[in-house]
Amino acid sequence: MRGRGARTTIAVSLGTVWYGLWAFGSILAALLLAGAPADERLERLLAHGLLGVCLYWQLIPILTASSGASLDLRLLLPYPVPRRRLFAFEVLLRTTGSMEMLLVLAGGAVGLLANPSLAWWGAAALLPFAAMNLFAAVGLLQLLSRLLARRYAREAVFLALVILAALPQLFLFFGTPGPLLAYLESVPAPWLPWSAAAGAITGGGATPWAVLGAWLALALVFGRRQFERSLRFDFAAAGGRAGSRFLAARLDRLSRFPSLVFSDPLAALLEKELRSLARSPRFRVVAIMGFTFGLIIWLPLAVQGPDRAGFFARHYLTFVSLYALLLLGEVSFWNSFGFDRAAARWYYLLPAELAPVLAAKNIAAVAAVCAELAAIATVCTLLRMPLSADRVLEAYAVTLVLSLYVLAGGNLASSRYPRPVNPRQAWRNASGGRFQAMLLFLYPVLAAPVGLAFLGRYLFDSEAVFWAALAAAAVLGGVAYRASLQSASAMLVRERERFLEALAAGTGPIRT
Amino acid sequence: MVEAPPAIETRALRKVYGEKAAVDGLELAVPAGCFYGFLGPNGAGKTTTIRMLVGAIPPTSGSIRVLGLPVPGKEVEVKRQIGIVPDESTLFDHLTGPEFLEFAGRMYGLEPALARRRAAELCELFELAAQSRKLIADYSRGMRKRLAMAAALIHGPRLFLLDEPFEGVDAVGARLMKDLLLGQVRRGATIFLTSHVLEVVERLCDRVGIIHRGRLVMEADTADFRGAAESLEEVFVRVVGGARPRETLDWL
Repeated sequence: MRGRGARTTIAVSLGTVWYGLWAFGSILAALLLAGAPADERLERLLAHGLLGVCLYWQLIPILTASSGASLDLRLLLPYPVPRRRLFAFEVLLRTTGSMEMLLVLAGGAVGLLANPSLAWWGAAALLPFAAMNLFAAVGLLQLLSRLLARRYAREAVFLALVILAALPQLFLFFGTPGPLLAYLESVPAPWLPWSAAAGAITGGGATPWAVLGAWLALALVFGRRQFERSLRFDFAAAGGRAGSRFLAARLDRLSRFPSLVFSDPLAALLEKELRSLARSPRFRVVAIMGFTFGLIIWLPLAVQGPDRAGFFARHYLTFVSLYALLLLGEVSFWNSFGFDRAAARWYYLLPAELAPVLAAKNIAAVAAVCAELAAIATVCTLLRMPLSADRVLEAYAVTLVLSLYVLAGGNLASSRYPRPVNPRQAWRNASGGRFQAMLLFLYPVLAAPVGLAFLGRYLFDSEAVFWAALAAAAVLGGVAYRASLQSASAMLVRERERFLEALAAGTGPIRT
Repeated sequence: MVEAPPAIETRALRKVYGEKAAVDGLELAVPAGCFYGFLGPNGAGKTTTIRMLVGAIPPTSGSIRVLGLPVPGKEVEVKRQIGIVPDESTLFDHLTGPEFLEFAGRMYGLEPALARRRAAELCELFELAAQSRKLIADYSRGMRKRLAMAAALIHGPRLFLLDEPFEGVDAVGARLMKDLLLGQVRRGATIFLTSHVLEVVERLCDRVGIIHRGRLVMEADTADFRGAAESLEEVFVRVVGGARPRETLDWL
């Protein structure tokens, strides 16, 4: 009960900060629109602004894997509920993933209503615009769910989405293409939904309203049709299980590597973890995100920055590996037992102490990060980036030392706040925004000992100081990690019923 | 001759959740080498008792000794000598059947090569070999129960704790499991089994105990029911208070 209260408090606090920021943006939108004269500039501003709203509404839930709550259709199908009601319920649930834009549009509507140069009914155009986005979001997420259910499609789709997300970054450093600049400076075509909404708001006659209505109808048909298709879709069959025998045999041999280094039960636990993580679509997607984000988003900063020999460029590999560690945390050490869910009871049924269980999960997480780091270093070498052996060594050393601290925090979090996670759902996570906000506060604290090593290097201009400080951080991190392991395993014994109950939860018809 | 201690012994065992006692002063003594059937209606405390015996949940009060060792206290040593089939068929979804068996065998202390060999043999025995590349996530409920039974057998335990082991298993699989269990008893193992299927319990078990509202309300040898005036089912229904006339719903 106490753990649940603390978790609720943290979630509410982070949610307040997050939505507070958007509420502030909403107020700014209201103030901006309340005093804007009704001219072509306002129409252009509204059109581009609503385009931004549309893009954020549709793309950000996909990119952040935070789609909010949704229906688990399989659980509801046996009941005699009309499908149109299920669809209506799904649309209502979609608002949980759209609160930011609804806040902004609400602020915009207030501003438009307060604008004396605009007719009051103009603001009403935001209603069909919002409804259109809701229906389109339902359809898009259902379409993506089916696409991502396919065994070999999900990682490829995510790679494409990551490249899409990196476009603004690439434009910033390689220059925005001329045609795109020209588009941003002009009023978009009137047949587009954001242009139609802007035209309706600024009193463009009946035509923008008709266009907006047509888009609303189209979005409704799209959303409903994708919803119906998902009802009939066999997700389990699409996933497929039997892969290549050749690959399976090679992976089996690779997964036995822990037995060469460790003895049982640690080796058995580690092999089990490595196999499970490698087969989890969610873990694979996040691992790919860490790898591709690291290259696509950070690479231009390293290559095109004003000072190519600057701090970031010289330590690019270190920053990228730390970023991968940060991303991977959510599907591994911050919730180590999430993928096990109710099967975690086997750790209590089998003759295993819980400290090796946690240690095996920690080692598996670090192994995954090291593998990503090796892949990134290989790509950097192929791209002829200035990468020396000592930089690679530094990246590994810094990552491993920081791992001690984040794993220590993760062990305590995993035993205190376990959450069941469906490993097959590659990207759904309703707590994504809150979790990321929490990490923004926590990581600087955990990274402080490592940060001091870099500070020492800068102040004394000495590699020896850097490595000595890093060694001291490693010793301190080792102590912290060992203490966390003992504390977490004692808690897992003491509060096993609460722990197992939490992991067995979450089988209702509404997924979060 | 010194009599072997009971395989399972509980004294005044209690487990309380809030104001409800799931197990309320259970006094149990299961002789070594016995095939013991533990019966009770839904919510009587059977699963809670098994979970306490294996150390998965702590008792509120009372004492437990399994194979002469105290639980809690020596639960790791106890677990090394027992085989468990839990009530729910949740297993590690992203392992295959042979991988799970090998993992369980190694956790029970078997050498990796031996665990791997026995895992393959058990998959053949339980007709899971054809699904050896299939992940447990795609197993049916009956397949999961068979796999859990195989995991309970892999290390040759002295005591079996089986919670509804035949639930969801087809007749062929259930027959195989029963034959294996009888063979284990002939080898000197003790079996503590819960089931709702009274005919199976009456046929397999040497001794039965009936738990109701957390207490042992009856205990007898199954031989006493053969040819007796009351069958085990009739005794069960009478003892748990199910024999009283019920009102029927006029809309049914």
